[in-house]
Amino acid sequence: MMEGRCAAEPWAEFGLLGKSGTPLVKCGTGTDVFICIGGEEVYVFTAPEKTLRAVLQMPAAVRDLAVSHDEQLLFVACWSGVYCVKVQLLVPSSSHDTGSGPTELKISTECLVAVADRVSSLLVVGSVLLTLCRTDSSWSLTLYQTQQASQSDPCDLLASFSLPLVSPSVQGDTESRCVLVCVYPGDVSPASSRLRPSLSHFPLQPLLFRLLFGAEAALSKSPVVLCGLPDGRLSFLPLRIPGSRLRILHSLEQPVVFIGASAVMEANAGCAGCLIALGKQGRAVLIGAGGAGSEGDGGARFTLGCVPGPVECACMDQSRVYYSTGSDLLTVDLWNSSSGTAGRQEGEEDEGSRSNPAALLTPVSLNVSGVTALHQPTCSSAGEVQLLSLSVRGRLQSIRLPVRTQEDGLSKRPSSQVGRSVGDILSAIGDVCERASALKTIIRSKNQILKELNQVMNISFLLSNRSEFDSKPVRCRGLVRWSSLLQRDSLNMTCVLENLSPFVLERGWTLSVTVRPLSCPLEAGGNASSVNYSFPFGGLGPGESVEVSLPVAAEGDASFPVTVTCSLLFSLWKFLGQEEAAAPLDSQRACFSLPLNTLTVDWLHALRLGDLPAPPRSSSNPADLIQGFISSRQLRCRGGGQASRPEEYSARVRVSSELLRDALGLTPGGPHVSLLEWLLSEGCGGVKAERKGIKTDGGSSVICGSAPNNAAVKLTAEEVNIEEKTEPLVTMEVQVKSSSVAAVCGLHHAVLHRIQTLLQKAGSSRTVPIADLRLALQQAEVERGQVWEASSVGVSSGQMQTLLLRVYQQLRDGPLLML
Amino acid sequence: MIQSTSLLESWTQENNQLASSCKQQDGQDAPNREHNLFRQRRWSSDFHKLLRKIQGIPPHLDRAQLELSVAYNTCVCFTAQSQFDEAELLLTQSAQRLLQIAGDDPGTSDPSVLWREALKSVTGAALRRDVLNLLCLQWGVWLAKSRLNAMQDFQEEMSLLEAQSGAVGNDCRAETKENIPNIPILVLDPRRLVDLLKICTTIVQGAERLTEGWSVLSALQAASASPAPRALIAYTHLLSGSCLAHMNRPQMALQCYRKALEADPRCVCALYQSALIYRRLENLQAEIQALRILHSILLLPSSTEPAMATGRLLSPSLFLCSQSLSSLLSVPSALSVLHSLALKCVIHGRVSEGVECYLDLLAALQSEDQHGVHAAVSTLPKLPRLYLEAGAALLMAQRPADCMALCDEVIGSTLDLLPDKVLLEDPGDGRVAGSREMTEEAENGLVRLLWTAVAYLLQGHCYSQLKDWKQAVTHYTRCINLLVKVHCKDTGFPLQTPCTDKDAEQGVDLCVLQRLKGLSLAGRGISFAQIDRLKESLRDLHLSQQAHPEGVSARRWYGEVLWRLDRKQEAAACWEQTWSHPIPSLSEALPVYAQELQSLPVLDSAKLQQKLQEPGPT
Repeated sequence: MMEGRCAAEPWAEFGLLGKSGTPLVKCGTGTDVFICIGGEEVYVFTAPEKTLRAVLQMPAAVRDLAVSHDEQLLFVACWSGVYCVKVQLLVPSSSHDTGSGPTELKISTECLVAVADRVSSLLVVGSVLLTLCRTDSSWSLTLYQTQQASQSDPCDLLASFSLPLVSPSVQGDTESRCVLVCVYPGDVSPASSRLRPSLSHFPLQPLLFRLLFGAEAALSKSPVVLCGLPDGRLSFLPLRIPGSRLRILHSLEQPVVFIGASAVMEANAGCAGCLIALGKQGRAVLIGAGGAGSEGDGGARFTLGCVPGPVECACMDQSRVYYSTGSDLLTVDLWNSSSGTAGRQEGEEDEGSRSNPAALLTPVSLNVSGVTALHQPTCSSAGEVQLLSLSVRGRLQSIRLPVRTQEDGLSKRPSSQVGRSVGDILSAIGDVCERASALKTIIRSKNQILKELNQVMNISFLLSNRSEFDSKPVRCRGLVRWSSLLQRDSLNMTCVLENLSPFVLERGWTLSVTVRPLSCPLEAGGNASSVNYSFPFGGLGPGESVEVSLPVAAEGDASFPVTVTCSLLFSLWKFLGQEEAAAPLDSQRACFSLPLNTLTVDWLHALRLGDLPAPPRSSSNPADLIQGFISSRQLRCRGGGQASRPEEYSARVRVSSELLRDALGLTPGGPHVSLLEWLLSEGCGGVKAERKGIKTDGGSSVICGSAPNNAAVKLTAEEVNIEEKTEPLVTMEVQVKSSSVAAVCGLHHAVLHRIQTLLQKAGSSRTVPIADLRLALQQAEVERGQVWEASSVGVSSGQMQTLLLRVYQQLRDGPLLML
Repeated sequence: MIQSTSLLESWTQENNQLASSCKQQDGQDAPNREHNLFRQRRWSSDFHKLLRKIQGIPPHLDRAQLELSVAYNTCVCFTAQSQFDEAELLLTQSAQRLLQIAGDDPGTSDPSVLWREALKSVTGAALRRDVLNLLCLQWGVWLAKSRLNAMQDFQEEMSLLEAQSGAVGNDCRAETKENIPNIPILVLDPRRLVDLLKICTTIVQGAERLTEGWSVLSALQAASASPAPRALIAYTHLLSGSCLAHMNRPQMALQCYRKALEADPRCVCALYQSALIYRRLENLQAEIQALRILHSILLLPSSTEPAMATGRLLSPSLFLCSQSLSSLLSVPSALSVLHSLALKCVIHGRVSEGVECYLDLLAALQSEDQHGVHAAVSTLPKLPRLYLEAGAALLMAQRPADCMALCDEVIGSTLDLLPDKVLLEDPGDGRVAGSREMTEEAENGLVRLLWTAVAYLLQGHCYSQLKDWKQAVTHYTRCINLLVKVHCKDTGFPLQTPCTDKDAEQGVDLCVLQRLKGLSLAGRGISFAQIDRLKESLRDLHLSQQAHPEGVSARRWYGEVLWRLDRKQEAAACWEQTWSHPIPSLSEALPVYAQELQSLPVLDSAKLQQKLQEPGPT
């Protein structure tokens, strides 16, 4: 469609845009262009000579500019008010200082003509100056009578109109500019109209004018001011009607960026038959006169459309809208667009566009990036359209669009033009290159994200496809150790996550560890409380591991064994960053969890060796000695008092030495010591206990220690010879002794558990003697019968307890021999 | 202690510098209003800075006078910029600090309690004078915020203030003349402030009581004798006049208004009130005269802002912002005055004058300089209605061509916007809130339709005036075709009654609609009669009588047509009914164009009687 190439020719550089003001390019007097780059300066640029002629230094950041109709006065709106500058001052007094650089003018408060806070937009209609300000609760449009005679006279306030804010909470609105334009009926006789058709003044087709603004406005031939507000409302005010007020014409529901009028295809030339308003996010509304008599009351027709946004700035010529999205400059032909929304076709197509309110206008890219302000296009006699634009980097450039006629293809250009066109093409290439490099970085980052997502997919496949018992390629090991912090001992676990898979765990992964007691004391209500820890980590290559440390239990806490469940969490939010992932994903789907292995910390892991709670004999402190003596006395006394109850509980486990030897490779010399050492240091359940060196009592097979509930325990291992079917058999007996039932039970369970896993590892070649098993079963049956009897007779709870305890003891004491 | 005195001196010096520069600059005319505003902002911020410095240390008796003087200066500047809340806050703070010197715990922030306590605690004469000055400013703030109750509580102290003011003023002036450096200078002479506040209080209170229906004549008349700016004196006369008008003494009220005008020629409100009185007295000549003068004064550029020269820093208008006063002082815009003048002239037979006024009005509305167009509330009718009224006036002034041009404009601007059909909800029921929008829309359509219809009707009148009967019939027919587009939902509803139902706008519209039907049918009937299509004429005139039974000329013409059809008995009966009804003169209750204009061919009742008698004997 757009055959030729569009040429951007840089004219001047103004430096980076300021933040406080509004970037503007406005047509000035004659060939002058006023440029504001968002700071306090207004630059006056002459287009033909391409030179900077003057710089105005305003007292505050510039918001808007307007030139009076006789082109004598320039009005500049800053935050605090409107200043007026005589255009003559900007013209160098004589021709000689054209070479001496631009005139610099400092504008002071002397030039203030209207005090108004937060002026957002300016418009000059005839001798009336209009300002649009935002107050706390409303938008107010204020009319001032300008003084033609001298610049320093203040303007008389004529009237003020206000429109309440829709939602006062929207703060971002203050920054975006409002749009003020003036439309007047096209049949106004030339004598009364000194209004020059320009960027913000449009003659409108009389019928459309009447339809939009009513008979009264049409009758008084009043200019009508249109305001596009940042809240999306399009409101209008007829200027010359007594008692008129601001009324709403339409609402775009997004900040209005541009209001223009299209003049093409109208019989009476020079009158626009269609108004267009563009919203920030690309919504457009085209307002035209409805088909004559097609509707009952013949109202104006509002056609909604949509262009790809965001719209940074826009301008339009007779039929085309040019707008910048910041990254590209686009043009939309309102009349020849394929969707034909603005066309005057009646019937089906009309119905179609009405039923589909967001008809998409198809823009054509012009390949110019970073445009933040546009000047009204000028059209040369040859049909060449020229746009003045200001880029984000503060570059003023003239963009020439190719001639629209079809037959310009092979026209030969004079050699002088060739050079220029080469320059044009070069600068166009520069622009394209800039855009390409931006796109490249985006593509690169997208690729990276895809690569990483692939890794994530692989890992989740690996982890989710294994059964329970397979060892997973990503797993955790644990290492527990007692540590003391702030005089409080606690059992800490160092959890090591190992990545044995060939894939990398990239960012976005989190290791989640849940610590949960397997059982818990009855007084806690029977519900084990779990604690959850999560450790985000970034980047774990194949073969690498990461260590995290977490508390498992505190001193005095007897709720062992504790299961430590490890799982990997993956969050897309963390992976993509908030802004990318927020829109399409809800929080549920953006995160998933892959279970890893489960670790168990049991009593043996938590056993502390050597430091008995009872004072050691070597203590030389007499007070300690006395204390020790007293406490041991008390213990004994209590023990004596309760003669029926044994002082210590114990449990035994017997394993054949042969088995141990085979499985553990223990030396025959001191198998008992080695057995204890093995029991205490074996990494059972994926957890190892870190011990500094196991001290046994001088080569004897006794290890003393304290359980986590501070009860003293004694572990003994000795060789026992027993007769098994007349066959002497050497067995190892491990005995657990403690005054705490809990400790005995827990340790017994832990020892059994270890030996069990050992047996499983050793294989099924060995058998447990059947007779022994039968004996044990019989005994168990007897005990069960006793318990059953007791419960059916209905003994008191105290008796029941003792009974149960006895049964437990007996079961433990008659140890099963493991071969 | 040494440091303290030096501080005191330097602060006093700073204050005096500021105050004297302030006084000096205030004397000069500011180049513009904005500059003045800027200057005042700077002064107030300077004084406020100084005051904050002084109040940064605990209050002490030695510094009390300086502190109070600076507070006074700051508050005057704040008040001058209408920042009454800030001023009041400062005043309260000053009173609290004063009480702290005396060792009392203020405990409260209620200003009236504070000031009483402060006055009690102060012993020294000089200090007491300063406290009174501040109290005086508090008075001003109350007045500006229309808190008359608070002022009444302080009636005693106010009188004290007034009594002291004379002596104090002299004292103060003597001191400033001597120019002793350690006496702080004040930006505004307190005595002048008291005088200003006194008369303003009387005016505001007078206005309040007047709206409440009290008589305040004596107080106002006493105040009018006091020395004060002329504008304020004029206000006192004006209020006295309003008071007398309430007491049903129009002549005396007129006297007072005259005095007000004599005191201040720019007191337009007095002129307007006089016009209202003349209207009440039905003195047409005088009313028109008054409106004329009022209009010409309103056209003067500075008429809306009466200059109050005295006391540049504090303008009396700061204190005269009570609501009842501003409603008493409000004057309609120049255009509204012109419109009522024009209407008055037309209705009371001064057609050519009225036409001139209407043309002036339309020209003013079309012109580019828009004086007074942007009044917040306009009492002017809608523009098309103005055009049509002007058209009717032109028609009455035998200028049919001009009238037709105006009507053409109205038709051109409204014809595209006419609805196909207007359906009126039954006005007898209370309107349902949900369908409000619909009703409004329909009404809008109705109004536009009426405008267009009236324009056609007037054109029909024009053509019949030009004796172009065929054209007249065409235009009357267009008018009728438009009018029959209006349908009423409730058919049982009698359309004539809304005339009495004044409060409903729609009622008036309906009444106008019926009258227009009657007039257009009558016009067409008469035109048909002129071209000897008697059957159609008879039908139209009959229908016209049904639509608008009061139409006299329709009835007479109905008789005439009957007569021509040789149904002389019926004609005589018909004429008999009209003898007692002359064609009614124009009234202001309805738009001019909806009334029987004298433009149609008139059948003189005397001639008709003659006609009756002629065939009788034969």
